[in-house]
Amino acid sequence: MSGFSTMNTAISGLLASQRALDVVGQNVVNANTPGYSRQSVRVSSVGAAPSSTLHTGNAQAVVGGVQIDTVERIRDTFLENTRVAAGASMEAVKAQTSALKGAEQLLSEPGDGGLQSVIDDFFNAWHDVAQKPTDEGAGAVVIQRARTVASQLAFVSNGIEERWETSLSELRATVSELNQAATDLAKVNQRIREAHVVDRPVNELLDQRDMLVRKLGELAGGKPSVQSEDGMVSVTVNGLALVSGVRAEQFTLTGGTTLATATSTPPTVTFGSSQVSVASGKAAGLLAALRTDLPGVSQQLDGLAVALRDVVNAVHITGFTTDSVPGGEFFDGTGASNLSVIPTLTSQLAVTQTAGEIDGNNALAIADLSIDANAELVLGPGSTSPSGLWRNLAANVGTQVQGLERGLEVQSTVLSTADIAVESDAGVNLDEEMASLLLFQRSYQAAARVISTVDSVLETLINLGR
Amino acid sequence: MTGMRVTTRSSTTATMRGLESSLNRVQRLQNQLSSGRQVERPSDDPAATVSSMKLRSQKRADEQYLRNIDDARGRLSLADDALTSLSSQIRRAQELLTSSRDAALSDDSRAAISAELVEVRKSMIDTYNARWIDRPVFGGTKATENAVDPTTGEYLGNDAPIVARISRDVTMRTDVEGTAAAAGVLPDILARAALDIGNNDMTSVVTDQDELADALSTVLRALGDVGARASQLETAEQSVDSERLDFVSRISENEDVDLPYAIMNLQTSQIAYQASLGAAAKVMQTSLLDFLR
Repeated sequence: MSGFSTMNTAISGLLASQRALDVVGQNVVNANTPGYSRQSVRVSSVGAAPSSTLHTGNAQAVVGGVQIDTVERIRDTFLENTRVAAGASMEAVKAQTSALKGAEQLLSEPGDGGLQSVIDDFFNAWHDVAQKPTDEGAGAVVIQRARTVASQLAFVSNGIEERWETSLSELRATVSELNQAATDLAKVNQRIREAHVVDRPVNELLDQRDMLVRKLGELAGGKPSVQSEDGMVSVTVNGLALVSGVRAEQFTLTGGTTLATATSTPPTVTFGSSQVSVASGKAAGLLAALRTDLPGVSQQLDGLAVALRDVVNAVHITGFTTDSVPGGEFFDGTGASNLSVIPTLTSQLAVTQTAGEIDGNNALAIADLSIDANAELVLGPGSTSPSGLWRNLAANVGTQVQGLERGLEVQSTVLSTADIAVESDAGVNLDEEMASLLLFQRSYQAAARVISTVDSVLETLINLGR
Repeated sequence: MTGMRVTTRSSTTATMRGLESSLNRVQRLQNQLSSGRQVERPSDDPAATVSSMKLRSQKRADEQYLRNIDDARGRLSLADDALTSLSSQIRRAQELLTSSRDAALSDDSRAAISAELVEVRKSMIDTYNARWIDRPVFGGTKATENAVDPTTGEYLGNDAPIVARISRDVTMRTDVEGTAAAAGVLPDILARAALDIGNNDMTSVVTDQDELADALSTVLRALGDVGARASQLETAEQSVDSERLDFVSRISENEDVDLPYAIMNLQTSQIAYQASLGAAAKVMQTSLLDFLR
């Protein structure tokens, strides 16, 4: 053993401790940085050169110090991928729920402000006309309430349409955000590769990369591939490569831009000329709302409007006005958004069943349509009364929103479990860092003590020669 | 190491999630309590929403049936008044006819009786033309202004009924059949009687008296019928109203918050929320740093 080699060994210990303290510092300051992966220094002992054994013949005192192998970044890929998938599902359910909840709110049921009460009021007004067929006031109330039914239907229908348009612009924003994130990921991949070539530290770039992968998952359910040798990650959306290495593709949004065209040409995310079937992420939730949920509600609403029009017209047309004029149609229009009331005057209401008489029986027959069985008798076998259709609509939307909200609860538990798993693996534990701080401080002190001891040993040795 | 590693961010995430979910629960209960309703949107309980919508609709129908009953009562009480007044008019005519048979009467006196009969006839026709909201009560469904022609005394109406729905399953006639109220015959009898008295044709007057007596019993029968229908309305009103109240209470059962239960729940979740806040504050403030010099 030579005193100088011990000195070198001690110096390697000083350097290693300093580097380790650096890393502890980095961990501590980033304890709350989102996406930060903790780092740790991996060191190994260095053996002395075999030649020293040869010349000194002393095999027991072989030491060569410590060396820093690498600064390791701790993040489990499996846990991280689970987190990406959980985030994607969560965003999908969230987007779909929010679109449908908007529709649910428009229904204002159960209560006295919804369409049900307006329809009831309309039919009930006919009872008053049946009793007072020649009363201007009673007739005016019928016409007014019919207009209220039409405007309430239009209100709900327009509300659904607005909801649809909002969701579409959200989807448009999502797609452009997706393209941006894909471009960003490709750039980060490139920087990682370059750093890799010249052996520069890449840990912080890898954190950035993983955050972008998460974002692609949340936006469109992008799935990361296994990272390559040089640290790059590619992302696919339902098998289609969105980012492959340093190359990023651009997706576009095509299809109808109005609710009316949503069924014939549904909004679609496309790549080149092929459709991307987005199965998860915010885009998937929005697509579900745009392609099925909201058009479904709108169709049910139109069906209701048509049933109401048909049932009232069928009875109105068989009656006569007090002036013996055959009653024409009462409602006009083709759907919920454009239903209108044809009679404008009390004298145009077909209140009576026998021409030339004033019996009020036709008004009574229309009033009785508020009883579901009567309406269904007029509409034909297998039909559902307008009120029944409205109740079905409320039940459908309610059940769907309820299911989605339960899904949301489940997904948020899954997501936070995945989050906690990732954070407990990759996150910083301050107590642990404090302990490491003490440890490396102590090992620095100890190495320094070795130096001062060797120094005093050498001093003794030098003083011998005096 | 058997347990999971705990890091600053993992414990923050877990704590925040716990806090969030208990705060959510507190807020939901607070909303329910402040609105008093536990079914505010269809998704709160789709089945309850549907039955609630149906119940509300039936309640509204019952409210309308009560209005119909009110209207029917108005029309029937008008008919009742008219028939009562008719019966007293008939009695007055009978008195006149009886007094006209006094052989000691002078021609002038008979002329006066005859003139009064003409007046009674006029007021009878007025009574027959009683109108409820523009429509003659005794006119059936005929589109005429009057049930009986004011000059000729001819009956212009028909016997078709005016019908109102007074409950989900029951409709009722709310006017009075003209023939049942002797609308077609009474003015004629009086017109004839006035002539017969003027002509001092006492045999015909006796026939007129018989006919008048028949007419009176017809009118009294009609009066009895109107009274029976009025009491039927009364019964219907009571049953529809109690059904309506039943709907109201079922709607409330369906939609409204069970207060004691909700308050207990709120209390419990508030305590849980405070406990998790306290625990979070305790756990997150300690670290190894506190024990290092």
